[in-house]
Amino acid sequence: MSFMQPSPVKYACSCGVLNPINKLFFCRHCPKLRCGLCVCHEIESHFCSNCLENIPSTEARHRKNCCANCFECPCCQHTLSARATTVPVVRKTEEPKDTKEGESVGGAAAAPAAPASSKPSAVPTTKKMYYLSCLSCRWTTRDVGIPDQGVATGTWPDNECLYQARFNTLVEYFQAVVLQDKQEKMDFLRRKAPKQPKFPSLTDRTGLTVSMIRRQIGWTEKTLPKPRPVITPAEATSEVEELPAEIFTEPLNLRNVTTIAQRHSQPAEQPTSVSKLYPQRRSLWIKRSLRCRQCEHNLIKPEYHPTSIKYRIQLFASCHVPEVVMVRCEQPLVAGKSNAILLKFTNPTMYDMTISLLTDAPSEEGEFNAENQGPKEEQDTATPVIKGVNLARQNSTREVTREVKDISNAPIVPLESEFVLSQRDDSKEFDEYVQLPTEEPKFIVWRKGNKVLIRLQFTPSEELSPNTDVVLGFFMQYTYVNTVTNASEKKEPTTHALHSRVFITAGTTEQKAN
Amino acid sequence: MPQDNSKVKVMPKAVVCEESKLRGDITFSSGCVVHPSATVIAEAGPIIIGENCIVEEYATIAHRLAPGEEYDDNNILSIGTQNVFEVGCNVEAARIGDKNVFESKCFVGKGVSVSNGCVVGAGIKMIARQHLPENTVVYGEQALQREAIDKQGSQTLQIDFLRKVLPNYHHLRKPNYDPKKARSVV
Repeated sequence: MSFMQPSPVKYACSCGVLNPINKLFFCRHCPKLRCGLCVCHEIESHFCSNCLENIPSTEARHRKNCCANCFECPCCQHTLSARATTVPVVRKTEEPKDTKEGESVGGAAAAPAAPASSKPSAVPTTKKMYYLSCLSCRWTTRDVGIPDQGVATGTWPDNECLYQARFNTLVEYFQAVVLQDKQEKMDFLRRKAPKQPKFPSLTDRTGLTVSMIRRQIGWTEKTLPKPRPVITPAEATSEVEELPAEIFTEPLNLRNVTTIAQRHSQPAEQPTSVSKLYPQRRSLWIKRSLRCRQCEHNLIKPEYHPTSIKYRIQLFASCHVPEVVMVRCEQPLVAGKSNAILLKFTNPTMYDMTISLLTDAPSEEGEFNAENQGPKEEQDTATPVIKGVNLARQNSTREVTREVKDISNAPIVPLESEFVLSQRDDSKEFDEYVQLPTEEPKFIVWRKGNKVLIRLQFTPSEELSPNTDVVLGFFMQYTYVNTVTNASEKKEPTTHALHSRVFITAGTTEQKAN
Repeated sequence: MPQDNSKVKVMPKAVVCEESKLRGDITFSSGCVVHPSATVIAEAGPIIIGENCIVEEYATIAHRLAPGEEYDDNNILSIGTQNVFEVGCNVEAARIGDKNVFESKCFVGKGVSVSNGCVVGAGIKMIARQHLPENTVVYGEQALQREAIDKQGSQTLQIDFLRKVLPNYHHLRKPNYDPKKARSVV
């Protein structure tokens, strides 16, 4: 697999987007290729990538998706670490003995002793004080005058921005508006479709209504609309403060001016001077689970705990779909001159695969799709509950299929026959390899375990100009043994003939000089 | 160019490991700590390293000859006090003041003059002719500069620790130059 560089081999996802195989997923239930664009992304858990604390989603929303304990350097966006210093303090006689023990911190640095008290009688004791420091750019909280804290975490001041009060009133107002809208909609629906009570109500018979009873008792009307918080609309002003005179006379010291990245990391204030940089709370990270939009099965489900990097469900395409690797072209690519390419196929599954390379879409696949689609649609309409869930997840089950754009410009010579990729067997790697004298088709160059190297002939198109990419396209049909089935009564694994469209960028054409 | 080690002067209380590579006329003031396999090259003229400097492993301090230049006794590279040369740094600066930190794998070229309290971050290459004002911190991938408010903390704890530990595992160069004695002779 190519690492850190774009792969020349791309697979067409079922939604029509081309992706390398390591970015694709494979839904075993559909069974189809899926990419990041055609799956449903869900937040599995929030966590802080620095302290690896797991934070429930409600709490994360409450904390504005920031970690409570970890800070980022406003200067270089590196994580800040707490440093301890010992500061001599003069203990008064009446003050109870307090020893503040902080948590273990990154390192202890001895600060130069602060001036001791003038009173010689006082007993100087030391107290641990903490400040935050960046190990990358050596920025400290002392640089902006934040006093040292007695506890390493939790007591760092939040810098309230200038517009905080205004912001809060606006939030409150619009929350009330949303609530009222919802209430009105509910009322409207209730009036439209009167609810049939299950039990006969006493008030129905006596002609009394709830509001009448309430009035008789002397209570206030229940459906009194809450007064909305008052907001004043923002006003534009044409008078702008004049630039200070120093800006034209004083030379600019670039060290005191913040960079764009520094301003963006503090969006509320966007300070222009480095003296206004304050430590920022670290944003939380999420673990994401992916779900197939059509069958609603999970494709990726990570383990809940932040320290784990494993998955509970992982349906990566590279674990199910044969991987195609481009090895090399036999000759330099020249337009109109026949050439051959060596491709390595790898079978990642535990079952043998039969692979054939086709130039046109296999027709049986269509039938298979159709019969699969039929009951699917029916199911959707028959169970409105599921549909409601879908709507809540703000994703429609309807699949948007784009036409896969045929970008190939080098027709291939189809292989004479199909070939078999044997199953993956990890223990075989350690066995002594014995070449069995088997009858192989001519195009197979070499075969070992679950890997096969084949030679595929192609001809770059005549009308290709020099220095253009030569792209080969073909349909790879493969048999896939599915161990899970939609139908519960069938227990034995079923075999599907699947196909995916593969495009290979073989390289650029050369000058036709020779 | 003198190749012998006879010109290396080590003042009392300096800890200079024998495995360090020293070339030319070098003076280590008292309190210096030089780790094994550190390199100090006095090619263009003598090097005088001030008190309480730490030169860590694979650090290189060089006073290189400019093209067409010859060894000159008066062309002294004077390094101030309490500087730290971290692992693998390569410092060829023209002038170095006090309390500077050269972090791991940084390169400071010949045209750079470093004042006091500066920090050159890990892996940063400084080649252009420039002067680092006091308390400059050079950091990050893009070698951004900022000004620190207070000077970098002193390394006394670290020096004390190294002075205790290094003699247990390494052979040291004997102090061969006593400024007091030299003065009394004169």
